[in-house]
Amino acid sequence: MAGFFATYGNLIVLMVLGAMLGLSLYLPLMTGQLSLASPGFYALGGYIAAILSTKVFITNSSLFPIPLLLLEMLIAGAVCGLLGILVGIPALRLRGIYLAIATIAFVEVLRVISLNLDITGGAVGIFGIPQPFQTAIEYLWIAVPLLIISMFFLYRLERIRVGRAFAAIREDELAADAMGINPTYYKVLAFTLGAILAGIVGAISAHFLNTWNARQGTFDASIIYLTFVLIGGSKTFLGPVLGGMVFTALPEMLRAIADPEITGLQLPTAIAQFLQDGRLIIFGLLIVIGTIFFPQGLVTPDLFKRRRVRNNK
Amino acid sequence: MDITLFLQQFLNGLSIGSAYAIFALGYTLIFSILGIINFAHGAIFTLGAYFTYALIGGAFGFSGLLANAALPVQLPFALALILGSTLAGFVGVAVERFAFRPLRRKGSDSLLTVVSSLGVAVVIVNVIQYLVGAESYTFPANIYGNLPASFNFGTVEKPVPIRSIQVVIFCVSVTILTILTYLINRTKYGKAMQAVAEDSTTASLLGINSDRFIVWTFFISSFIAGLAGSLVGSSVSIRPTFGIEFGLKGLAVIVLGGLGSIPGAVLGGFVIGLVEAFVPADYSGYKDAVAFGILFMMLLIRPQGLLGRRFVQKV
Amino acid sequence: METPATRTTALFATFAVLLTACGGTNQTNTGTTATNTGATTTSSAIPIGIAFAQTSNVALLGQELVAGAKIAEKYFNDQGGIDGTPIKLVFQDTGGEEAGTINAFQTLINNSKVVGIVGPTLSQQAFSADPIAERAKVPVIGASNTAKGIPQIGDYVARVSAPVSVVAPNSVKAALKLNPNIKKVAVFYAQNDAFNKSETEIFQQTVKEQGLELVTVQKFQTTDTDFQTQATNAINLKPDLVIISGLSADGGNLVRQLRELGYKGLIIGGNGLNTSNLLPVCKALCDGVLIAQAYSPEHPGEINNAFRTAYTNQYKKEPPQFSAQAFAAVQVYVDALKALDKKTDVSKMPLAQLRTELNKQLLTGKYQTPLGNISFTPEGEIVQKDFYVAQIKMNPDGNNGKFTYLK
Repeated sequence: MAGFFATYGNLIVLMVLGAMLGLSLYLPLMTGQLSLASPGFYALGGYIAAILSTKVFITNSSLFPIPLLLLEMLIAGAVCGLLGILVGIPALRLRGIYLAIATIAFVEVLRVISLNLDITGGAVGIFGIPQPFQTAIEYLWIAVPLLIISMFFLYRLERIRVGRAFAAIREDELAADAMGINPTYYKVLAFTLGAILAGIVGAISAHFLNTWNARQGTFDASIIYLTFVLIGGSKTFLGPVLGGMVFTALPEMLRAIADPEITGLQLPTAIAQFLQDGRLIIFGLLIVIGTIFFPQGLVTPDLFKRRRVRNNK
Repeated sequence: MDITLFLQQFLNGLSIGSAYAIFALGYTLIFSILGIINFAHGAIFTLGAYFTYALIGGAFGFSGLLANAALPVQLPFALALILGSTLAGFVGVAVERFAFRPLRRKGSDSLLTVVSSLGVAVVIVNVIQYLVGAESYTFPANIYGNLPASFNFGTVEKPVPIRSIQVVIFCVSVTILTILTYLINRTKYGKAMQAVAEDSTTASLLGINSDRFIVWTFFISSFIAGLAGSLVGSSVSIRPTFGIEFGLKGLAVIVLGGLGSIPGAVLGGFVIGLVEAFVPADYSGYKDAVAFGILFMMLLIRPQGLLGRRFVQKV
Repeated sequence: METPATRTTALFATFAVLLTACGGTNQTNTGTTATNTGATTTSSAIPIGIAFAQTSNVALLGQELVAGAKIAEKYFNDQGGIDGTPIKLVFQDTGGEEAGTINAFQTLINNSKVVGIVGPTLSQQAFSADPIAERAKVPVIGASNTAKGIPQIGDYVARVSAPVSVVAPNSVKAALKLNPNIKKVAVFYAQNDAFNKSETEIFQQTVKEQGLELVTVQKFQTTDTDFQTQATNAINLKPDLVIISGLSADGGNLVRQLRELGYKGLIIGGNGLNTSNLLPVCKALCDGVLIAQAYSPEHPGEINNAFRTAYTNQYKKEPPQFSAQAFAAVQVYVDALKALDKKTDVSKMPLAQLRTELNKQLLTGKYQTPLGNISFTPEGEIVQKDFYVAQIKMNPDGNNGKFTYLK
């Protein structure tokens, strides 16, 4: 097992981070708002952590102190939350594809600004970000509790008044408004929560990736997170968690399958080659097939209801 | 700003804008009928360029599955352009059949269709890269016959050069705009298309086979995409991702012009092109931010875009 | 309602099988290696990891690097490997992203048990993945990372790619030799790429040091293809020299569009344009572009001769700089392993010790490579004497061309 964790430890961390990024996109979607702004907040959170840890919190110890990392996450979350409110209030008057496009524009603007500023290091970005842990797998000490907290938070959220307000807005905004729910308030709330989560994940990722640059928050990233949510399932928070994990691991799974030293299978060279070089083709096909055959995503609330009914019998 | 410099930047803007416009025309056409953004459009744009490049006998490099392959034929550019665009049109039809229609049949959320089209884009781009590698290829210099490399719109002492290919693209995009406008507003086909766009259920009750019109729309849109890809590809060089890179800017263009508005796509293209051209040289790094910043502002002030119809909230 | 649930379950099951497939076999793997940790197997080849981009648009640079490494593998094994034990190159695709690079490094370090790694392709990727190797105490040799700060990542990080600060100024001097009347210089660079950003700073500094006037600095993105605005902005200022830091596709388009818009002066390209992939982009208009080189195919010496012959036989063209640098990186490992083997039998050494010893050894050695005689500073920076400037000469039809080396 030790060998497995040594090889795939970092992938497991990436999967957990992927799950949380899926959740950050899922939050606004709870109110029916498709926002692709998460990569922007993710990038911002990363920059905050990168700048703080390389310029402000200079320590002499070989490992970066964990309390400072937590402080960075807090600051990143707070700044992203604030920006989320500022952007959310005007932007969330838009709906559907218009909101999606506005958030894409927001991400692009942030990206270009970070390329041009001195403090973000331009294209070179910021490197030599100090490490809080000896090995990659230890990042799970931060990532897993955070994922559990966010999942628990969402589990509760889906069951309290706020969550029901979210669902009401998602189903029918006008009717919700008529019932006395203030849609703008709840939509901005959901959007901001997503922004905070993305910012915190960014702060962890900056340490995890050792370096941070403007290539981190891009349109491509938006698409990948969207895939996490829609293929994973957009009706319950478990969907994005699963989607984030599976789709982060997928390219590596294909890499592993192609490697005879790992599977012990001697695949014909052409197929092994295709699994290696053509894995993005497979990735794309899975997206198409997924949307057609699993329009609700892999995890649907029905799945659990069904199980429960069966258990009751 | 002196007049030569102004003229230069103005023409630069039109030149860049015409490439955006020609890309956006087919893009917005699909939206006008189906109300969805077809992210595969950029990939088909790329594919059309590769088809045309292959048909004029262009060779591919040493990487990819088809290393050093070249078609035995060497068609003249005009013929290759038509044939390549037609092939792109067929690919568009296939994409509609396999990635869009199943979702439409189920009445799925339009966002899912957007994701499905993204999946298609990922597949097409990577198939191209798998087959012919990630290298850039440039069309031979002589495809436009004896046109000079650039036209001078200024004087000999104060030149205002614009590359000839850009002038060609400008003319073609205006031509396509004219034809499309005529097709949609003046022909039976166009009326039917509008009916399908308005309400496909009612349209089918009126005896319009909406599937057939959607297929045609995809063919036309993808044909234009292929044509645009080949022309823009002959201006710059082609590589597997060049259409996708255009796609993001194209999105800004069609939203700015008004989603689903054909003249809006052209206007949006020119507006963004001009804005980019007039960004001062010292701030050229912020060029893209300006385009997307305008898009963001536009959405907040007037989400239906410059020429779009106001979208009605259905209750 | 029945079908979706069944389908979901089926898909879950598939994923589960896939996961357990990977996991399960891995455990067996760890089982076998557990018995082997005492000594690496005696008969099997010595694995060296090669982590370059073979997919994504970075693959363009990756391909030339892979080609060079493959030639090195064959050449040194034909020479008898390390005292009879062959080397085996293990290739892992990094893609164009940071996360993919980290994954590739982890796979090489933990699964393939390589003694050292050559790569990755981009400097950004190096900033992200090299610390992983550093912490695992596995030597890394960069073959194409030219940005500032790479060897400083750690003790286990070295490079055979001379940094831009050393290479770039040569081309400006060569341009001044060709045309001593150069006064005004326009600089272009791709702002979204780490090594171009470092490179342009060096170029701009050199321009000032040579007493030339820097009339404009124009930025673009590596994904841009239309340079109408930037080009006319620069041409308006009537420069005598244009310096471009970009990659082959954008740089090639920029060269072409500058020429089509009537620019007649000299053009210098940076290291990103230093690949034959540039030629299909600007075709006949590439003619005359000056590029500084850390490698010349005409470099005298037996090893370069062998490399050049092998390369031209296989790919029907002269080897580019990146291939030569990848070859040299593999060679450094081979020579250092040989030297180490003379002291203690490397096949008997535990892997962790072998990696550390190898790293120490490779930093102290001197190597006769296709790049000329090279060695390393204690930090891991390459010490290289010979640099060249090449000028592109195209055939009139624009389909073929080559780099000709200036004296």
